[in-house]
Amino acid sequence: MSGSKTRSSSDRRILDEGTRMRRHKRQLEALEKDNHHDDPHASFAHLLNKVKLPSFSDGTEKKRRKTRSNADHFKQRFRKTFQSLLEELATNNNNNVKGPSYLTAAAPPSKFPPRHFCAVCGFPSSYKCVSCGTRYCCTRCLGTHQDTRCLKWTV
Amino acid sequence: MIDHTHLNMAASSTTLVLDNGASSLKIGIEKETEPVSVPNCITRTKTERRKSFIGNQLDDIKDLSGLYYLLPFQKGYLVNWDTQRQIWDHVYQSLLKITPSDLNLIVTEPPFNFQSVRDAMIEVLFEEYGFSSLTLTLPSSLSSFHQLMEYPERPCTLVVDSGYSFTHVVPYYRGKALLESTLRIDVGGKLLTNHLKEIISYRQLNVMDETYVMNQVKEDVCFVSQDLYTDMRKARGKQDTNTISLDYVLPDFTSVKTGYILPKGGKQHGTSEEQILRIGNERFSIPEILFNPSDVGIHQMGIPEAIVHCISTTPKPMHRYLYSNILVTGGSTRFPGFRERVLTDVRKLAPDTYPVDVTQHDRPDLVPWLGGQKLAQEGREGAGGHLQSVTQSEYKEGGLAQCHKKFYDNQIILHSNYN
Repeated sequence: MSGSKTRSSSDRRILDEGTRMRRHKRQLEALEKDNHHDDPHASFAHLLNKVKLPSFSDGTEKKRRKTRSNADHFKQRFRKTFQSLLEELATNNNNNVKGPSYLTAAAPPSKFPPRHFCAVCGFPSSYKCVSCGTRYCCTRCLGTHQDTRCLKWTV
Repeated sequence: MIDHTHLNMAASSTTLVLDNGASSLKIGIEKETEPVSVPNCITRTKTERRKSFIGNQLDDIKDLSGLYYLLPFQKGYLVNWDTQRQIWDHVYQSLLKITPSDLNLIVTEPPFNFQSVRDAMIEVLFEEYGFSSLTLTLPSSLSSFHQLMEYPERPCTLVVDSGYSFTHVVPYYRGKALLESTLRIDVGGKLLTNHLKEIISYRQLNVMDETYVMNQVKEDVCFVSQDLYTDMRKARGKQDTNTISLDYVLPDFTSVKTGYILPKGGKQHGTSEEQILRIGNERFSIPEILFNPSDVGIHQMGIPEAIVHCISTTPKPMHRYLYSNILVTGGSTRFPGFRERVLTDVRKLAPDTYPVDVTQHDRPDLVPWLGGQKLAQEGREGAGGHLQSVTQSEYKEGGLAQCHKKFYDNQIILHSNYN
């Protein structure tokens, strides 16, 4: 029944810098997601691939196969992810293809100090959680943070 | 030797303008007054198990909760061609009912587009759709062209294009981009919506699956603060003095079809079944990320600082003209107060001797399309001379190399070529 507030500060786990960075990276990745949940058709599509649907006309069989192979060819050529595009660009850069590119265009860090807001309520914050480094503004928000998020997302 | 005059005669006379955005594509024949804005995605719902909804078929969905998105773009670049082709097929055939081979096409691609993506784009548009000619350019180039036609006396334009995937700051001299000074901030509408989803889910109600609904909430309630800490204080206030907080009724898609802001002090509706979100400092702290990406831990400059940094890397004689002609475009600049905030912040950071002015169209998301329309109508003889097109037969003759030469070399200035 030990609530985190009753735990003494000495036995509280403190996350090291590396873990904090990993956590932060994961949060940023989550902000880039298209969907949070799974494709509702996923299970259905899976079935479709497995079950061979009966074909009703023999005549079109040949034609269909041909178009599909065209599509496959196209897929092979253009199937790329953003990650592979970046890698391609990096190898081109190594081969001395100069000039401004995606990599050089990223805005540099700001020269102003970052502002801090409470992770719980969003208002300006002056304090940082000792265990994980998350910002909070008052003891009430710290309590909420410790009960819900702090050290609960293990990386 | 190719007879160019003959080829140009052979090209058709009607032009289709397509601003192919990562979240919505803006498309229309040049004669129309406004483009159609179509969601550039395929969506699936929880209830309709057998059907996917392509582009604007989204409007047919009754229950928009838990919508699942398939997007052709990843981080702002076109990678999922299957998805994109399905959407284009639908838009050309069912929505606009056009025949590509009768049309010239002006189409946009993001800045620093990858070579292989561009090749694929040209190949698909010429070989699969068979457009009669093609102009490939940046959305910001079309915006700057639009600005140049409106204000011909201004030689330079600084275009800030804040879209779905990212924000670009691109300086222009007579319609040509200074690519080496161009900056990208990795904050766009998608990140803002996702962050809103995240904090609302933590503070009030789990809405992680409700991208569509929360995007609507963002568009309905968010604004850009002119004075952050004053607004923070106001947002803390008690019910009657608090001018920031408001109640937002979420749609349940049975009795409430679209979400709305509950009028202040107005009596709550009889049923207590409505789900209400109390939105306080989120109203302005979300768009604030565009001005300070460090608020969410992205170590990059915000828009005003990036504008100043970008201008400082251009040739000195341009500085005055760039500061006095900043154009903000893109869907993420539609928050109320956006223009004013950019103006005050840039004014604070810029050298005193330069005048600063910021322009915003009343539909900032449509400016690139309108620029493309102007290009199609007024021809390329004058100001648009650098935005060249490649015809189908030139493509057959010269292939991709011909396209790269025409599209790339004319549209940009590298600093080394400036003097």
